[in-house]
Amino acid sequence: MTAEITLYHTPDYASTIIRLALEELALPHTIAPLDPEAGDLASPAYRAVNPLGLMPAMMTPDGPIFETAAILLWLVHHTGRLGAGPTDPDRAAFLSWLFFTANTLHVTMMQLIHPHRAAGDAGIAAVEARAFAALNLQAGHLETLITTKAPRWLSAAEPGVLGYYLGILLRWPAMMPEDPALRFDLRPFPALKAVLAAHEARPAALRVAEMDELGPTPFTNPRF
Amino acid sequence: MYTLHYAPDNASLIVRLVLDGAGIPYRTALVDRASRAQDGAAYRRLNPTGLIPTLETPDGPIAETGAILLWLADTHQLGPTASAPERPTFLQWLFFLSNTAHADLRQLFYPHQYAPADGIAAHFDILSARMLGHFRLLDAAIARHPRLFAAASPLGVYSVTLTRWAALYPEGGRRWLDLAAFPALHALARAQEARVETPVVARAEGLGPHPFTRPEAPNPPEGAVL
Repeated sequence: MTAEITLYHTPDYASTIIRLALEELALPHTIAPLDPEAGDLASPAYRAVNPLGLMPAMMTPDGPIFETAAILLWLVHHTGRLGAGPTDPDRAAFLSWLFFTANTLHVTMMQLIHPHRAAGDAGIAAVEARAFAALNLQAGHLETLITTKAPRWLSAAEPGVLGYYLGILLRWPAMMPEDPALRFDLRPFPALKAVLAAHEARPAALRVAEMDELGPTPFTNPRF
Repeated sequence: MYTLHYAPDNASLIVRLVLDGAGIPYRTALVDRASRAQDGAAYRRLNPTGLIPTLETPDGPIAETGAILLWLADTHQLGPTASAPERPTFLQWLFFLSNTAHADLRQLFYPHQYAPADGIAAHFDILSARMLGHFRLLDAAIARHPRLFAAASPLGVYSVTLTRWAALYPEGGRRWLDLAAFPALHALARAQEARVETPVVARAEGLGPHPFTRPEAPNPPEGAVL
C-alpha cells in the first residue's frame, strides 16, 4: 500500500509538513510537483483531488485526502507512529491539541502572514497586531502543555506529527511580517523551542530541508 | 459516565446531538457564560483555552468539538474505522468543518476580535462570501457521501449546526444564508429535525420547534448563549 502514496507538493508550502511526516515514517511515496504560480491549484485535475484548491492533498490507496491535520492523523492511524493512535488512552489530549493547532493556531498564523485577507487592505495593521498577540497567547498554551504535562506526542525525545506541524506553522510568521516587531519569536517559549529544535535536527527533517531548500535550522532560526 | 461541559446553543450542541443520537449516556455540566465561568480556574484546568465544549472521559478531558467527535466516533463506532476506505474522506471533511467552516463562522460572530472597527463591514463581506463557498462545498460533499453525512452522525450534525448559527448570529447582523439554495444541506436539516432526540435537546437548550429549518433566537431554561 505504501508505494501508492502521492503527495502534491510545492517546497515550503503546507505540503512540506506532510513531506516531513512521510520522510520520518520512511513511507515510500511519489512527489507530484505543483506550481501555484502557473495556476496548478485551479486545474480541474487538482480540483478533483481537492475541491478547495489548496495544499496539501495526498493520494492514498483509499483515494484522495486533503486538510493538513486530516492527512497527519491518517498517517498516524495507518502506521501507529508519530502520535496517539485510535486506541491509545492518551489520544484524548493528542486530538484536542491537534485540532487546536489546526483550527486556532494555524488560522491565526495565516492572519499574521496574509493580513489583507481578513478585512481588506485598510485593516492590515490592526489584523496583524491582533494576530501577533493571539499567536503568542496560543504558543503560550503549548509551552504550558509541554512544561506541565510533558506529552510524548509533543516532545524533544521522540518525533511526532504535531512537532513537524508546529515547526512549519511557526516558521513562516518568524520570517514573513514586514515589521520585525511583528515577527514571531520562539525565545519566550523555551520548552516549545527545544521540541522544535529536536525535530529539525532529525535525519528526516535534514533531508526535507535540503530537498525543499529550507536552510539548516528551518524551525528555530528560519530563513528563505 | 461522560460529562459534557456545555452552554446553550454553543458548540457543545453538536456533541450533545451526536451523543443523544447514538444513545450514549452522559451528564451535562453548565458552563455559566453570564459569570464567565469559562475563564474561571476550574474550567481552565479542564480546558486551558477556555473554549466550550469539553467532554470529560475515563481517558481525561477532551477539548475541541472536532476532537470530541473523532474520539466518540472511534470509541463508539460512529464513523469509518481507522483502516476503512472511507476514512480519508471522513477525516478531511471533519477537519474542513473544524478549521475552515467553523473557524470562519466564528470570525463572523466575533468580528471585533479579528478586524479593526473601520474594517468590520469589509470583514463581514469577505467572511460571508467565504462561508457561502464553504457551504457549496459541503452541499456537494453531502450529496456525494450521504452515509458519512447522515443525520445524527458527527459530520451531519456539525454541518447543519453551522447552518443554524449562520442564520442566527451575530444577532442583528445582515442575513446572508438561504438554506433552500443548498438542497443537500436543506434535506439534512429536515432529517436532523425529524430525529427523536432533536426536540429533546432543543427543549433542554431553548432552541424552538424548528432549530435547523427555521431557527429562532434561543430562550434557554438555564445558562447564557453568549
